[in-house]
Amino acid sequence: MENSTLTPEESLLLISKTIEETKQRFKENGHIIILWGVIIFAVFASQYIFSVIGWYKKFDIIWTTALFPLAAIYTFIYIRKNINKRNLPKTFLTRVIGTLGWTMGANFMALGLFFSNQLGDAMAPVFIILLAFSMIVTGASIKFKPLFIGGILLNLIGLGTFFISKDYHGFSLMLGSVVGLIVPGILLNKANKRENV
Amino acid sequence: MFKDLDPILHSQLRLSVVSILMTVDEANFNFIKEETQATSGNLSIQIKKLQEAGYIEVKKTFLNNYPNTSLSITNKGIEAFETYVNNLKTYINPK
Repeated sequence: MENSTLTPEESLLLISKTIEETKQRFKENGHIIILWGVIIFAVFASQYIFSVIGWYKKFDIIWTTALFPLAAIYTFIYIRKNINKRNLPKTFLTRVIGTLGWTMGANFMALGLFFSNQLGDAMAPVFIILLAFSMIVTGASIKFKPLFIGGILLNLIGLGTFFISKDYHGFSLMLGSVVGLIVPGILLNKANKRENV
Repeated sequence: MFKDLDPILHSQLRLSVVSILMTVDEANFNFIKEETQATSGNLSIQIKKLQEAGYIEVKKTFLNNYPNTSLSITNKGIEAFETYVNNLKTYINPK
């Protein structure tokens, strides 16, 4: 870029073009959202399968406590690498989504590890509602309707889960992961690919 | 009545740098270089001018053992940018 002076029209055009192009760089990709959807689905689908074939007690805790922290570590490394590799700047949006992500993660861990007895049957619905909250805020922040709508549906599934027996809470989580995470995540990836063509 | 345009901002590269920094909280040198397609030497000179005018803040740190220069806009820079845009409007839509 030259360091020439500009006419007023050129200046305004340059400002709006630069701001628009910079904003385009902040498109979120659905990779992490799909990953969490698949992990949640895998954990609860496998728990159901284990319970059907009688292995439930053997694998439940190890499976759940291994997969969720592994996904959390992967998410952390992926985000750090991605930001460094693409020289991405810090923005209001990255701050909101980043803070939302780590506070959600910390609360999920605290609820799961220390408050599962107090929460009792409400564990799954509370988990789903918190997840829905983060999807709704993320969807609204990046102005991506499928994620926002998926979050609302996930929120409704969470509220509905209070009315069903604890035996079927795993199915609510599986349905929620598909509706609120996997499908919106895939749509988000597709939308970004279309824009990059 | 036309108002004078800020000479610090009224240059293509410096205006691009400030426009980018108006959109973000903080950006590093390489990001700005990629976005503006400027050479490192020219960009450094223009960044220095903006820094001397008090429009941007430059922080030099290390990231993964490599030097990292991050830039952010100051309150004075935001005010100057807003005044510049308002003055531009008087040229385009004179009353």
